Amino acid sequence: MGLLSEEDREYLIQEFNKELIRDVELLHFTDMNDKSEYAVQTKALLGELAGLSDHIKLTIKDCSQKEEIEVEGLDLCPAIKVKSKRKGFMAFYGIPGGYEFSSLVEGIIDMGSDKLSLSDEVVKELSEIDGPIDIKVFVTPACPYCSKAVRTAHLFSLANENIKGSMVEANGFSDLARKHMVSSVPHIVVNGKGSFVGALPERDFLLKVKEVMN
Amino acid sequence: MQFTLMKESKEKRTNYEAAIIGAGPAGLTAAIYLSRARIDTVVFEKLIPGGLIASTDWIENYPGFPDGLSGGELGERMKRHSLRFGAKIEDIEVTGVALDSENISIKTAEGTYSASALIVASGTSPVRLNVSGEENFIGKGISFCAACDAPFFEGEDIVVVGAGSSGIQESLYLSKFARSIKIVEFLSHPTAEQILLDRIKDNDKIELLLFHKVIGFIGEDSLSGVEVESRETGEKKVLDVSGAFIYVGLSPNTGFLDGLLDVDPKEFIKTDPELRTSREGVFAAGDVRTTSLRQVATAVGDGALAAHKVIKYLEKKNEG
Repeated sequence: MGLLSEEDREYLIQEFNKELIRDVELLHFTDMNDKSEYAVQTKALLGELAGLSDHIKLTIKDCSQKEEIEVEGLDLCPAIKVKSKRKGFMAFYGIPGGYEFSSLVEGIIDMGSDKLSLSDEVVKELSEIDGPIDIKVFVTPACPYCSKAVRTAHLFSLANENIKGSMVEANGFSDLARKHMVSSVPHIVVNGKGSFVGALPERDFLLKVKEVMN
Repeated sequence: MQFTLMKESKEKRTNYEAAIIGAGPAGLTAAIYLSRARIDTVVFEKLIPGGLIASTDWIENYPGFPDGLSGGELGERMKRHSLRFGAKIEDIEVTGVALDSENISIKTAEGTYSASALIVASGTSPVRLNVSGEENFIGKGISFCAACDAPFFEGEDIVVVGAGSSGIQESLYLSKFARSIKIVEFLSHPTAEQILLDRIKDNDKIELLLFHKVIGFIGEDSLSGVEVESRETGEKKVLDVSGAFIYVGLSPNTGFLDGLLDVDPKEFIKTDPELRTSREGVFAAGDVRTTSLRQVATAVGDGALAAHKVIKYLEKKNEG
């Protein structure tokens, strides 16, 4: 029996069929020797997703391939990068479980289509950013509000290629979470320095990112 | 590990017969009833379906679920139920509402929508204590969501403020992680349901501190203590804790209305028994309105009644 319910599988097949206009690669870096429940489930989940559409390709590589990880712009492992010919940077560090599964599905659809679910005003403001911005959203799988913040960071990356949007599963990266003093999620760290807490509407999220950078 | 799939409607339109602000139990119930009546309906939600219940660890007093279920799952089920009958759910924050003689305009970050009738079901947010240090330590030890943040307090000593049903229910969940929990209650007695109070009697991690008020939060980079004062003796002391979860009440999410509707002294929307507000064509349902009980069951009842009244209102409007 798979991880996805039959109802969810049917829904996803229809959605991918309707929305995907180009190939999307799920590039998964993992410790090949890791037999933990999370590692096994992550691989199984990605395999199930790749089986739902001819447009979704799964590539699995080992965390030891550090050069390649760097080339991909990733800085943690395990990681999933959702890639396509569309510009944008969407990463998931750790398992996209619980509510984050929806962020992964949205990410696949976003990278495989031309849609951009942001207001014109926010897209314009984002286009004016000319320096690199790395947005890491710390989450827990049971946090119902976190996927909104992850999706916002991912959408920002579609609007401006200087921006990287990543989910970080806080339990899986507890040292990093402690370093950034994460005790409430979503906790958003910008360029490894400043941070803010909370799922905010996209415009407020952008204002906070700018505030933190200044 | 569960994998929760939140299903979306992708269609973009801006004109509907009925609009609902808020996809909590009241708003989603109204959406089910309106859609089944073939009223073209849109629901606006700025965060996630379920509203405040989405952050509730476990709900066991909603009929039909004898074993209980998580608030997030109940919210998602309600959302799927409303989508099944054709409601549209827009993942957008409403920033304003304006009325003219014909239509109701709903302003959002992604443009203005119009509808002939509106149900405000925007729910509530947790009340803050407004004491010294609180603002500084939100996200640095102070939390309002046990389901989200409990894992960060594994093996730690923490405080829960408020011994109502929410405070006690979430304390029981937090006790799976924390080493000890002191529940600080302003009144001389807890106000939670008796079944929850019976459960904390059997939980040796949880201790009640009654008739005390929180007067401040202290720490440097993160929370290290909560200062409380006895309301009986005036004695002050600091509880050495690294976390504090606050459940002291709810305030209505009505800021976007900008005074459009009559409200009570606590800003909850006033309605008549048929859930009509002070403005024609605008109804209110669920926790956001003046009512004596705020539960999933009462919100669901409100949603059904508000939808019924909208259907009648639209019939009359279309006849006229």
